[in-house]
Amino acid sequence: MDLSGALVRQTPVGVADLFYEQAAAKTMLEQRVQHLFGDWGYARIIPPTFEYFDTLSMQASPQLRQQLYRFVDRTGQMLALRADMTVPIARIAATKLYDQPRPLRFYYVGNVFRHEEIQAGRHREFSQAGVELLGAGTAAADAEIVSLAIETMVALGLEEFQINLGHVGYLQGILSQSELDEAAKAEVERAVDQRSDAVIAEMATGLGLPAEVVRAVRAIPHLCGGTEVLERARELAPNAAAMAAVERLEAVHSQVQHQGLQEHLILDLGEIRTMGYYTGIAFHGYAAGLGFPVCSGGRYDDLVASFGSDMPAVGFALGIERAMLVTKARARAGVDLIVGPGSSPACVQLARRARQAGLDVQVDVLDRQPSELMAHARATQARHAVYCRAGSAGEGRPYLLLEGEPLSLSADQLERELSSWTL
Amino acid sequence: MDPLTIALPKGRMQDAALDLFASVGLGVAADAANGRRLVFADRSGSAHYVLAKPADVPTYVEYGAADLGVVGEDVLRESGRHVYEPLRLGFGRCRLMLAGPPEARDRNLRLDIGLRVASKYPHLAQTYCLEQGIPAEIIPLNGSVELAPTVGLADLLVDLVETGTTLRENGLVELDLIMHSQAVLIVNRASHKLRFGTIQDLISRIAHVVATREEQR
Repeated sequence: MDLSGALVRQTPVGVADLFYEQAAAKTMLEQRVQHLFGDWGYARIIPPTFEYFDTLSMQASPQLRQQLYRFVDRTGQMLALRADMTVPIARIAATKLYDQPRPLRFYYVGNVFRHEEIQAGRHREFSQAGVELLGAGTAAADAEIVSLAIETMVALGLEEFQINLGHVGYLQGILSQSELDEAAKAEVERAVDQRSDAVIAEMATGLGLPAEVVRAVRAIPHLCGGTEVLERARELAPNAAAMAAVERLEAVHSQVQHQGLQEHLILDLGEIRTMGYYTGIAFHGYAAGLGFPVCSGGRYDDLVASFGSDMPAVGFALGIERAMLVTKARARAGVDLIVGPGSSPACVQLARRARQAGLDVQVDVLDRQPSELMAHARATQARHAVYCRAGSAGEGRPYLLLEGEPLSLSADQLERELSSWTL
Repeated sequence: MDPLTIALPKGRMQDAALDLFASVGLGVAADAANGRRLVFADRSGSAHYVLAKPADVPTYVEYGAADLGVVGEDVLRESGRHVYEPLRLGFGRCRLMLAGPPEARDRNLRLDIGLRVASKYPHLAQTYCLEQGIPAEIIPLNGSVELAPTVGLADLLVDLVETGTTLRENGLVELDLIMHSQAVLIVNRASHKLRFGTIQDLISRIAHVVATREEQR
């Protein structure tokens, strides 16, 4: 069969094959954040990969709705691949865990699917690790999630990073002071999100916005920094809704400060580009050297209720592939020891002993000659190679390779060698 | 501190952009921007300039290869890139127009069948036609779009019009305004947050220069 140019040898755009160092780095990174989430008292949850389209599109922005991969099952039901973990977890919390002691704390690690335009750090299948804290609407719950996001960035080995924290209620509060319809509000939000003062000013005139609303909206792109930002935001807040957002941010900031993590927290009232279901705080994490966010999160108090059980909730997700781009942590390549020839009893016995001593060991099942075994060990970045020499006199007596000339070892010597390698 | 990297569009807006940055203290030596060098620093060493094709400027900025960039709004919209666009810069003004032969004025384009529209802006042309209900096939071209109606490749075109001379010389007329465009300053979203003070300061200095120039016009 001629496969030249055929699709069977390619992958679709937007997915990736990971192996060797990249697969190891991903595994290590996932284990590290799972360990951290465990330390904070979060338990793992594993939602299904596909569900009904109507479930997964719950409260989704029109943009995200379009990005869902959908398909029809054999009974004609419209299904979709999960585009994030938050919606499935909200469904599980509302339908199965509604009578469990609150709050619920869950973490997840898994792949999600979105039909993204392929640009700037976006894939169509990508991995997320994150947490959801359900059943607590307090500032302390917000602060726990923000702090955990900061600790996650620290656990990744990042030094220069920051979390930009905003509150969707601030701009919404300001705009509720006007009589704009939803479409016009979305236009204003887009202009604020693009930091386009010219467009905001044009719309202010076109839509006939009240002066105090225009002043506050135009100030939002500048409301970014330390707690002094909150003072200015308070002055500009035209009503109780906007004021409440400022006060929530102040409470969260102070909780984060009590843990000594505030150096990484930037208050940013322009942080409004979020998932459609966010109702309160919203944040993105940025690391030096990466042109797009590494993590994002926020409060979603209405999402669980849309599945039938009222539960305020807050959470965040880390983009694993993006984290891999910025983290300095590198997984070690190659095994500790390759031992051959695989057909020799001495070889497999030695391999077993070395594994019990804690080494990562491969057996050379191709029965290479010593020089070939050495070359193979070098090519695969194995740290040591041992060849168990056959023959009547020193049956199974091992050579130690990769340390210069082949060296004949006694069992005792080898034992000592093995124990030194584990260090 | 690390210098800011600024992507500038090669060609028609390059000099005006360099001039603008010079007016806020980021000027380059006289011989820096000529010749074939694509990367050069300003005299103070606080900015690095990258010369890119205009259509590539939003790409450099979205990926963070450049912290800031200067590009026409037309090109930015066509690119669909996610960047901040805090400032219009007052130069490089032009209009994106639907144009065609004079007799097209009298036709109801929505009722036309088999209409072909040539453009260097296929995305914007497609969006415009869909919004207007014009059933057109978009023909992407890389230049000399005015040629397309003359040789029968397309019925209409969507292109940038500065003075209208090129259209007239090819016997074409303006049919509809799609958008006004001028140079805008764009900023990488993460850079803007990670270097907020530096970038915001630069933006306000440029805004001041632009406002002063507008008053003098």
